[in-house]
Amino acid sequence: MGEFFGFVLASVPYGCAFSLVAVGLVLTYRATGVFNFAFAAEAYAATVIYAELIDHGVQRGWAAIVVVCVIAPFFGALLDFGLFSRVPPGNKTAKTIIALALMVLLPQIVETAVPNNPPIPPAPFFSDSFKPVWRFGLEIVTGAQICEVLGTFLVLVGLVFLLRTRRFGLPIRAAVESPKLLELSGVDARWVLRFSWMISMSLAAVAGVLYQVGGATVEPQNYDLLLVASIAAAALAGLRNLPIAVLGGILLGLAEGLVQGYATNIPIVQTALVPSLPFLFLLVLLVFHPTLRHLEDTTDPMAVVEPPPPVPALAMRPPAVDRTIRRARWPFLVVVVFGVILFVPSDWTMALTMGAALSIVFLSITLLTGLAGQLSLAQWMFAGIGAATTAQLAQNLRWPILVAALAGALVAGLAGLVAALPALRLRGLPVALLTLCLALLGDALLFPTSWVLNGQTGINVPRPSSIFGIDFASVDSEGFFVLTVVVMLAVAGIVHLLLRGTTGRALTAVHASPIGAASSGVQVRRLTILVFMLSASIAGLGGAFFAMNAQFVSATSFVYYFGPIYLVIVVAIGSTTVEGAITAGMAFALINQALTNLPQSVGGSQLGSASLTVILLSLGAFAYARHPEGIVEYAKRRATAALFREVRGIEPHEHRLVSAEDGA
Amino acid sequence: MKRLLEVRDVSRRFGGVAAVDHVSLDVFDGEAVGLIGSNGAGKTTLFRMIAGELALSGGRIQFDAAALPHRPDQRARLGIARTFQLVQLFGGLTVIDHLLVALQAHEGRQGPLRDTLWKGSSTPDEEQRCLETLRLCGLSELADAPATALGLGERRAVELARALVVRPQLLLADEPSSGLDTQEAARLARVIARARAETGLAVLLVEHDLRMVETIAERVIAMEAGRVIAQGSFAEVLANEQVIASWLGRTA
Repeated sequence: MGEFFGFVLASVPYGCAFSLVAVGLVLTYRATGVFNFAFAAEAYAATVIYAELIDHGVQRGWAAIVVVCVIAPFFGALLDFGLFSRVPPGNKTAKTIIALALMVLLPQIVETAVPNNPPIPPAPFFSDSFKPVWRFGLEIVTGAQICEVLGTFLVLVGLVFLLRTRRFGLPIRAAVESPKLLELSGVDARWVLRFSWMISMSLAAVAGVLYQVGGATVEPQNYDLLLVASIAAAALAGLRNLPIAVLGGILLGLAEGLVQGYATNIPIVQTALVPSLPFLFLLVLLVFHPTLRHLEDTTDPMAVVEPPPPVPALAMRPPAVDRTIRRARWPFLVVVVFGVILFVPSDWTMALTMGAALSIVFLSITLLTGLAGQLSLAQWMFAGIGAATTAQLAQNLRWPILVAALAGALVAGLAGLVAALPALRLRGLPVALLTLCLALLGDALLFPTSWVLNGQTGINVPRPSSIFGIDFASVDSEGFFVLTVVVMLAVAGIVHLLLRGTTGRALTAVHASPIGAASSGVQVRRLTILVFMLSASIAGLGGAFFAMNAQFVSATSFVYYFGPIYLVIVVAIGSTTVEGAITAGMAFALINQALTNLPQSVGGSQLGSASLTVILLSLGAFAYARHPEGIVEYAKRRATAALFREVRGIEPHEHRLVSAEDGA
Repeated sequence: MKRLLEVRDVSRRFGGVAAVDHVSLDVFDGEAVGLIGSNGAGKTTLFRMIAGELALSGGRIQFDAAALPHRPDQRARLGIARTFQLVQLFGGLTVIDHLLVALQAHEGRQGPLRDTLWKGSSTPDEEQRCLETLRLCGLSELADAPATALGLGERRAVELARALVVRPQLLLADEPSSGLDTQEAARLARVIARARAETGLAVLLVEHDLRMVETIAERVIAMEAGRVIAQGSFAEVLANEQVIASWLGRTA
């Protein structure tokens, strides 16, 4: 009994932090329609500020938390003013993409600004967080634990009080149903939403600090568990019921603590089950919770007043752009390939090969997100599965590497089936959450095992030795670059045919109206399964070439975190065309390489981390709300329009009208 | 005449509430049947069960003397087309694309394999058939227009064209005149009548606009509180005491 009490005492504080974040997630989602994937990232950023304040001379923990609690609401208001208020209320995809971009960006920005992890600061009101304050028999209660439980209680009481007031609470509760109806009642809904963001960010800040003073080091990775456990608690509450969100958070904290406590001597439980518990719980909820299945069904009676969210579609591109691209692409490609072979230094050849391999992975995002409208955060995991299968078959069974790569794509496709089956019952945000779960499970359970990626020890990946006398094996092989580009073009060709063909039309129909598509005879289930599997296969093939290029892969090569990063980058650059995916892949590799090669005097190798590349490219996601076709397509359209004006003195759409009249 | 749709003793309960309560009805080949009733009478619930969007709590539905498959897409390919009270169009597709989606799905010419191996877009035959249907629905001029940018009357016509292009045996039309003015409703009624004349299509029409019901339907079924309370010709049903009581709140 004493042991049980000890485990409970140790785990309740974590449960409190989960509860706070879960409440914040539910509140933000209900009030603003944004599922704030960045909540844990914001909690992390607030904690770093708190820790830095203490580290730089602010003696009192309470003073530091007051400062953080002043900054946080301002940041919330800034997020709403600068980003979310500019997204049309009906465009849920844009809101999710921006939240994902923030989730990706904030830790990168904080880590770039504060390269060394700050020391663990004391809890507010306690100079020594871990000093026992109370004793219950053998068990002790520390200042940090008191701080976490009391802090959570006070914040929740304050929140309940606030939400019950007529002045603040009532408009927030009304905005949950329909901001537009609220405005028709004479209330400025903008300020209500902004206020919700301010509360939400304050919650994130307090949750982050309380989570950290419990003993977790101030590293972004430690906030992954906070995010997933809180998402699970919020999901248990159907993203609507605050008391159940609180209860869910505490129960998850308890479950985690008890399993960890009682199974100390069972390594598999410690290494696999404990970290995966929230993911598994969330996975089950996503599949079986009835409310989550209908999350995307709009309840706003004024929703039809808004124009429908702009769906990424090839139809948005003027035919003139198509013609120009068709004429220029082959000469351009030949020039690039020969240019690389003849003039490019070896390290840039490797970077370009990596860009081509990444482009293959990104083409899977074009298919699934750009066309089917499904936000998958697990594409990088599928790439990892492809890479692992290729490496294992080639190393252990001595399969020819290219055959092994094809087998890798096949196995990744089968893994895609695992994601597709639950996704048959879900749409939109729940699919993003589901794939996030799968990616985290891959990270925690799959990749560390010896028969997959062998953890951090990793596994060597051979290249094809030579074909027709062309060398592929050397590190700076131009032959391998050409091979990767050929495979990339083949995949791009297939994706292009699907985009333009019957599949593209049917998927656009399913994305716009599943019930309308089904009543037209479209086999929605078959198509969903096929597109998930095909997309996972393409990612797997890209992963195989990524691994061959690096000639070594480990669990750290395919950490889940890159899933959302790559999704945000592809969407920002252009997820509706194959050119967008290829540009994104090449841009990522080349910017990274360029930053690495900068002279030491202007930052040199310090800047040459993936962080800055991610920051630079992810910033483009904020343009997504206005230009859902992506930066590249938008730029091309503008350039085409300018060309038309310059050469013919008319706009492209006028040209089409004239052509139609001529034809008639 | 052949019995096309046979609904027998069908019920649907939501918790303790019976939205449809032991309803039986038939639609014969080429016949147009109007389903009328006040809001909450169970018309749309019955419709959704016939289309395969809602499971039955009890009873059975047969189509062409055979049991219906479960999913809406399977029923659509069998020859049951449907339009919606709230128009369901595909954002990002043009008017003709809407028809191609339905036609290619119906003909089984849709999927990655066809696209990859045969450069699947659309055949001249498919396009010709779509253009004929567009002409029937008065949409020839709008073939290449983005469908969601059209007015409500035209969007309803696109939805109808999408349903008609596959030459269904039975059309389930759910309040097609909802939100339309008198002229637009009359135009839509003429399109349905012309489609019936050309293809021998059977129609089950849920409608509040009695003028449209009178124009299209040869037989009318009235529902109230999930039950069929009257059926017969338009005049017979409107003269029925239960219908009058239900609609006007008093007896004749």
